[in-house]
Amino acid sequence: MSENKQPKVGVFVCHCGVNIGSVVNVPEVVKYAKSLPNVAYAEGNLYTCSSEGLSKIKEAIKKYDLTQVVVASCTPRTHEPLFRGACEEAGLNKYLFHMANIREHCSWVHAKEPAEATEKAKEIVRMAVAKAALLEPQTEPEIEVQPSTLVIGGGISGMSAAVSLAHQGFSVHLVEKKKTLGGKLNELCKLYPTDMQSSEIVEEFVQAVKSNPSITLHTLSTVKNVEGFIGNFKVTLDQEGKDEALDVGTIIVATGAEVFEPSSMYCYGECKNVVTQFELERLMKEGKLKNPKNVVMIQCVGAREGKEGGRNYCSRICCATAVKNALEIKKLYPDAEVSILYRDMQTYGKDFEDCYQKARESFVQFIRFDAEDPPEVAVESNGKCTVRVRDILVNDNLELDADLVVLSTPLVQTEDAKELSKMLKVPIGADGFFFEAHVKLRPVDFATDGIFVCGTAHSPKTIPESIAQAYAAASRAGIPMALKRVRTEAITSVVDEVLCTGCGTCVKLCPYNAIQKDERGVARVNDVLCKGCGVCAASCPEKAITMRHFSDKQVLAEATAALGGD
Amino acid sequence: MSNSVLIIGGGIAGIQASLDLANRGTKVYLVEKTPSIGGRMAQLDKTFPTLDCSICILAPKMIECFRHPNITMLTYSEVKEVRGDKGDFKVKVLQKPRYVTADKCTGCGTCMEKCPVKAPNEFDMGLGNRKAIYMPFKQAVPLVATIDPSTCLYFTKGVCKVCQKICPSAAIDYEQKPKEKVLNVSSIILATGFDAFDTSAMKEYGYGRFKNVITSMEFERLICASGPTDGHLLRPSDGKGPKSLVFVQCVGSRSQRGELPYCSSVCCVYATKESILAKDHMPDTEVYIMYMDMRAVGKGFQEFVDRAKSQYSVNYIKAHPGGIAEDPKTRSLQIYYEDIKAGCNMKKLDADMVVLCPALIPKLDNKKIAEATGVELDEYGFFKSKNQLTAPVDTNVAGIYICGYCQSPKDIPESVAQASGAAARAAETIACLSKETKR
Amino acid sequence: MSEKKSFEPKIIGFLCNWCSYAGADLAGVSRIQYPSNIRVVRVMCSGRIDPIIPLEVFMRGADGVIVLGCHPADCHYVEGNLHEERKIKMLKKLLALTGLGPDRLRLDWVSASEGQRFAQIVTEFTDQIKKLGPSPVSGKVPDQKVLENLEAARNAASDFRLRVLVGRERELTEKNNVYAEKVSQEEFDLLLDEVVEAEFFRQKIHLLTQTEPLSIKALSEATCLEPAAVLKQIVNMRRRNMITVDHIEGTTPLYRALEVA
Repeated sequence: MSENKQPKVGVFVCHCGVNIGSVVNVPEVVKYAKSLPNVAYAEGNLYTCSSEGLSKIKEAIKKYDLTQVVVASCTPRTHEPLFRGACEEAGLNKYLFHMANIREHCSWVHAKEPAEATEKAKEIVRMAVAKAALLEPQTEPEIEVQPSTLVIGGGISGMSAAVSLAHQGFSVHLVEKKKTLGGKLNELCKLYPTDMQSSEIVEEFVQAVKSNPSITLHTLSTVKNVEGFIGNFKVTLDQEGKDEALDVGTIIVATGAEVFEPSSMYCYGECKNVVTQFELERLMKEGKLKNPKNVVMIQCVGAREGKEGGRNYCSRICCATAVKNALEIKKLYPDAEVSILYRDMQTYGKDFEDCYQKARESFVQFIRFDAEDPPEVAVESNGKCTVRVRDILVNDNLELDADLVVLSTPLVQTEDAKELSKMLKVPIGADGFFFEAHVKLRPVDFATDGIFVCGTAHSPKTIPESIAQAYAAASRAGIPMALKRVRTEAITSVVDEVLCTGCGTCVKLCPYNAIQKDERGVARVNDVLCKGCGVCAASCPEKAITMRHFSDKQVLAEATAALGGD
Repeated sequence: MSNSVLIIGGGIAGIQASLDLANRGTKVYLVEKTPSIGGRMAQLDKTFPTLDCSICILAPKMIECFRHPNITMLTYSEVKEVRGDKGDFKVKVLQKPRYVTADKCTGCGTCMEKCPVKAPNEFDMGLGNRKAIYMPFKQAVPLVATIDPSTCLYFTKGVCKVCQKICPSAAIDYEQKPKEKVLNVSSIILATGFDAFDTSAMKEYGYGRFKNVITSMEFERLICASGPTDGHLLRPSDGKGPKSLVFVQCVGSRSQRGELPYCSSVCCVYATKESILAKDHMPDTEVYIMYMDMRAVGKGFQEFVDRAKSQYSVNYIKAHPGGIAEDPKTRSLQIYYEDIKAGCNMKKLDADMVVLCPALIPKLDNKKIAEATGVELDEYGFFKSKNQLTAPVDTNVAGIYICGYCQSPKDIPESVAQASGAAARAAETIACLSKETKR
Repeated sequence: MSEKKSFEPKIIGFLCNWCSYAGADLAGVSRIQYPSNIRVVRVMCSGRIDPIIPLEVFMRGADGVIVLGCHPADCHYVEGNLHEERKIKMLKKLLALTGLGPDRLRLDWVSASEGQRFAQIVTEFTDQIKKLGPSPVSGKVPDQKVLENLEAARNAASDFRLRVLVGRERELTEKNNVYAEKVSQEEFDLLLDEVVEAEFFRQKIHLLTQTEPLSIKALSEATCLEPAAVLKQIVNMRRRNMITVDHIEGTTPLYRALEVA
């Protein structure tokens, strides 16, 4: 790709009005630039970024047959794209452009030392020219994106994402391991803050899925294998023993979560009157709740453990669920005594706080205990339970009769998640849930392009939160598919296959899984996945990896140009 | 018929929705009331639970909005009128005059250096000053100066004009008029964010009377390196570092007294974050958080709180203070509370500085937008979801979607997710309508 | 020709695009003034800085080298900065052996919003280098011994063994190897010390015996290693075809470096 002709660098030194010009002697810098090796042309501009300045760059490229361009002005972080664009318009590959920052890094910070600032500006220009002369054209790989998505999981999140994508005009393969859609919602009863039954909601969403011709439903199916990358994933499904191959452009993980079973905690498993909150939902749904006189609910069972390797997270929805179910029981059986034993009442936001107030008004008892002094459950001979708890608000030990003990346990990651995470090469966090690209700003993206996550597979959340997040995943997946092609990073690394000895160090270091060993054991970089950090190049034991646009030679040329020698 | 989307509100939710739509080829109009996009997130020092520098992760997105060929940013603008239906809304937007020509302004800041007038800086919650000609903060997007006519000497007294004289780009234009634009869009996304409840209404906490009682947003500006004190946490009364710092949760929230019974959802964790920042800056300062329930319900938040306790020795006290008194000599404070763990005995905690975590409320302007669009508000002024369970980002008006805090209290990751969710709905609208026109 | 001018160090700074370079930009935007000795080279990630790079830069006479990356947990590329931390740790050990000392190299973290911090670090580092004085290999008469040592260090840092050890550090100390074994950080650091020393002296001996064949005694004097330690190196080097006996004077073998593939 690199031509063996003598570099002809054009240098444009900007006054930036008075910002640079009042401190740095720009004409002196221009004169100095002209004297540098490989410089074919140099000029000063008042505002290089103005349309006038940009025209001058384009003219000079053509007139002087420039092979690279240096603009000495402000920071590349704001203006590099602008100048690169100008070079491209003049027929010069945009990676043959380099900037020298003589404003933010020079005139603005050495304003009281104009002589030193001018000398520094000259050296910065010399450094930029030294690197520029070694720059080579680069291409941004463009790949086609299949307009179809694989949605793994047919619960409320998977269904919402599938319907949204279908409405956006894409085709969807919805994969569900069970026979029916709906996930955990199939086992829930009434949903607060509305009076809707869970089954109504499931029905609504299932109808939307089944009636949409763009959604292909694969029930009793699991994902067996995934190869490829964004735009071109090759998926193999296992449909009741038979293999089915799919080609999709994007993947959404919506595999949900399981409810933690607190075996041997608080006599769970020993006594049939000790159930989880989830099991209580099923009892209520099936009408099997038999007129309980005393119900004691215990929060944070197996959650917020605060210990090394424990389940240390708060499962977000348990307090609201407990309060809702307490109110339901009070509605069904107004004489029942219902107590909720809690550490913190996590009824956040608008609606849950309201529910909490209602529960208090309905005489649900709220008893606060300390994490260090948890309640104890004892099973009596008649099968009922006694719950002992230290109420820290009244500073007293209480003994409660309970013919039903309900344990609020956290949501935990599903069994198949580990398998799936390996197949898709996406990470799982310390809390067991899938780990997104960036906790704040990319909550539904994985670091691996083209794969997204939503719902409780990501972390415990409510139904509206899951739906909003599912739409978010649909929006994010929709972007590359709407564009039909994506351009990926040009600044990537490349392995010299002759030098590579297959030690595999780079494979393990790459945070994007962009390097794999091929059939011969030689490392190869996937241009599409590589983000150009350069850690592989800096670490390769055989010095077999070069980083485009930031090769050792280029970086050293820039650095040592400041030291006077070449 | 239109294929573009209007987004009202340039905070992180509005920005996320804009970028999602613009990146898939949809034309976006992003309307923001203040001179710069960025919203609340730009005012924060660091974000929980990762302690990322807030503006560092936000600024690239702001710049991306500015440079994106599919996004037209209308800052310093407000929506005045909305007509039409889903697929074909006609919106009147009024652009207020900056008295600076945006195309000419290079953001060099020379005008700000020379302007003789100082005014309280809204971005710094009034703790620092700006000039009459100003940019709200250093990383403002667009980086264009704005003249505040209420404090500018030329507009109030007809004198000065220094900025016009020295502007190297001749960008000052005192004759600039408000501009009305009519936009034709297929759908609208509301992302107007939140304000803080005015805690001076709660006399027992002394905000507004006691100098060393501040709000959490004021704390963010003080601790932020780009804020009015260069990131030094200093007591407003004497400029000294506090030896003891107390955060008070739920100020105005979960109030039994009626106005704001809901939980603002983010304060427990941001107080934890601010405590960690305080300890980072001043490891010897004692830091306390007085709370009712420690609502660390999001991903990684409980672990964050555990870290604050074990690694940073932040003290968590389960208590809701009855009142705060001030020592008139030292200007330090005494907080009276019931110590729940010690049998609810009345106790007093001395504090050099107190940070109140106020209830966060939907913007008052939501009423105007509700009137203009027909979107329903709930009893607190939040925009109402069409169905709280099954349609969180839709509203009663087809084609108008909502996201972020203006829908209900939530943190940044949830706002970002909901914003992308609203973008998906807007994209669906466009796709469905184009399918219909094809038939 | 006035040597009375006070020493103005030449400092090369490698700044990552996402954090520290932006922090330096902010220092500019905020007009925070700092000494003008630093010359900034922009890279995408601090993890890009191969240990060879600062060594080459020192060999050309830089008085100080500073690498600035994102704060841990903030790296745009997930953990490039953490990898760099390990490389710099190894590099400082090498620099200590060269006679240049580890204090002319600094690694620090600056976020995009820390304009003040950037200026402060640059000011501090510039002062520190001023106190250390000009680099022994800068100026008209570079110290040949230190220059040779730097070359040996660079060759050691280019060698497979040291690079693979540093590249695997995280894996070995934080995760398990295929045998579910983990190495504690202390154990690893001891191992690293050994390997750094061994590789450095190996390269040094190689360089010395390239110019002329030398005896163990001569090598011992030149490297300040005990003769037994020199012999151990020679034995290893012979195994790797790095060195051979050139000729014998009396009963003393003299060794000559072989070209390494």
